[in-house]
Amino acid sequence: MRAGALVLALAACGPAVIAPSATQPLPPHRELAVDTTPKQRPRMMPAEVYLRAYMMWFGGLAPLEVQARARGRQLFDAWDDYLAALGLPDYRIDLPRQTQSNTLMLAAFGRLGEALCVRAVEHDLHDARTPPDQRVVFAFEPIARPSEAQFDERFDVLHRGFLGYPAALAPADRAKRYYALFTQVAAHHPAKPKTPLTGEETAWAAVCAALIQHPETGLY
Amino acid sequence: MLRRTMLQLLGGGAAALATRTAAWAAATPGARSEDEFFIFIHAAGGWDVTLWADPRHERVGLIEPASTDNTEIAGLARWTSVALDGDTETFAPLASSDSKLVLGPGIGALYDLRDRLTIINGLAMNTVSHPDGTVYSATGRHLAGGRAPASSVDVAIANERGTGQMLPAVAIQFPSSFVGEALDRRSIPLRVASAATIAKSLSRSPAYLDSSDRAAITAVLSAETNALAARSVYPGTYERIASQLAAQPLLVGGELEKAFTQKALQDAYPMFDYKSKSQAAGALSAAFTAEAMRRNVVRSVGFALGGLDTHNQNYKQHARTLQDLFGVIATLQGVLDATPHPTRSASKLADHTHILVFSEFCRTPQINLAGGRDHYPNNSALVISPRFRGGVAFGKTDAEQLLPADAKTFADGARPIAPPDLLATFLHAFDIEPRRYLRDGEVVPELLR
Repeated sequence: MRAGALVLALAACGPAVIAPSATQPLPPHRELAVDTTPKQRPRMMPAEVYLRAYMMWFGGLAPLEVQARARGRQLFDAWDDYLAALGLPDYRIDLPRQTQSNTLMLAAFGRLGEALCVRAVEHDLHDARTPPDQRVVFAFEPIARPSEAQFDERFDVLHRGFLGYPAALAPADRAKRYYALFTQVAAHHPAKPKTPLTGEETAWAAVCAALIQHPETGLY
Repeated sequence: MLRRTMLQLLGGGAAALATRTAAWAAATPGARSEDEFFIFIHAAGGWDVTLWADPRHERVGLIEPASTDNTEIAGLARWTSVALDGDTETFAPLASSDSKLVLGPGIGALYDLRDRLTIINGLAMNTVSHPDGTVYSATGRHLAGGRAPASSVDVAIANERGTGQMLPAVAIQFPSSFVGEALDRRSIPLRVASAATIAKSLSRSPAYLDSSDRAAITAVLSAETNALAARSVYPGTYERIASQLAAQPLLVGGELEKAFTQKALQDAYPMFDYKSKSQAAGALSAAFTAEAMRRNVVRSVGFALGGLDTHNQNYKQHARTLQDLFGVIATLQGVLDATPHPTRSASKLADHTHILVFSEFCRTPQINLAGGRDHYPNNSALVISPRFRGGVAFGKTDAEQLLPADAKTFADGARPIAPPDLLATFLHAFDIEPRRYLRDGEVVPELLR
């Protein structure tokens, strides 16, 4: 007992001396690459967003204005017919929102897109030749039989409008595909077509319809 | 039986009758299931089972039977009045020496097909909520956070048997749900509010672009989609869209669009009552179903027949609504009986078409203060299928309260049958492993041939 008390007393009286150690440099920062890979599969845009975008692209129209403009020549009829097919919920009949695309939905969006593109061509390029600053979709000056470069310049306007970025940043063969579509449709329609549009106007409508239905338009 | 026999004799004589009967009986589990067709019908609103599947015509316990006090009996073809109390009359249950089934007058024209009906009574629903009961009946699971936690039975069927079809699963106001990562994206149901919408969506103006232009547009979109799939970390979404795009030229602006218009369907199938007060939309859905199956473009069609949610004086029309509802099904079955199967030359569509009819729950055994019946956690269902035993009723309810009673001893003990059991049995009948789609449920062999 006494010996223990003595050891404790000695320990308390004589503090241990700790020799200073040499400083060590901090380890260097490791460079980590930022992982920018997507962490989630692409998702379908809610139908409301899609439809809102349609209306904005075509001049900020209200739904009933779109319906009125798209009607005629069997292009479109009424929104009510397509609400479920487009993926919108209908709470009157407990029909929930569609979260996945399906064949019929693509067909319904295709019908709507074709109607709006044709009407946009009529407004911007056909009838009274709307001044460029008042064109809502085809905000460029069309030329007859455009070369690939001339087409690309005009295609870029549509690409920026519908997909939100320059065509130059898209995969390299995209513009070529759309140019091939343009030339094919333009050549397919005769010089004096029965349709109200010329061959090249119809071709621009086809390019528009193929852009508005592009998968990048409906996914995020 | 007589009506069916008459149809068969008219259709092809006694030899055909013998062949048909053999085909119906031979369609047992284990037989080929690749070109079977499936129809799922949601009787929306909650039906009164005492008027058809589980007939009650006496005051016992809580039960106030349908009577001339609470039911409009004019126009009810199968209602035969018998005395209930004083001047009040109720109905005589339908019974026949050629069938074990005892049914109520709401069954209407479907009573003629009683030898082909499989009725499931005393389904334990554990819910009186429309959305929950609907999802429970279609998926075997209750709602979780307001969403269906499992795929519905039509999607399961389409995933297993329908991905090769142009339209694997069509849902016309039917509560289809597609849940999970393991399913083929082609089985995502095509949900529409009306059969007429399908033709409208496929329709295109002939005034501007033509079919070759649209084919060129689709080719560009397909190429773009495939290019994006090749560059994507998650190509599945793009691959799904590519497959849906591939179907467009076959669907859009062609023969199908013309065949599926409202007028074309009504002209092709004049036997349906398109002016029915309660089932006009359902009649069009049934006509679409028959036409789509005849053309072999679908595997499964689900649609709704409604008007059954009768909490007040509208209950007086409930029996008539049921009669009209089952009338659509009887007419559809007649069409299927008469229509050749698209891929089996010796068969009719009815030999390889399987119908499941359900509601979200039944209605209370007692009449409420408003003169109607409210929601009740019991239910019945109906199957018309060559793979199921016809002319039988399985399951039961208690005599006084109309609540589900023990149907048999299941693996987990004696209990009533429930929707997961029925769905598991339905999938099993077509060699589909129920556990791939259902968390619960046990196959009920008593229902199967």
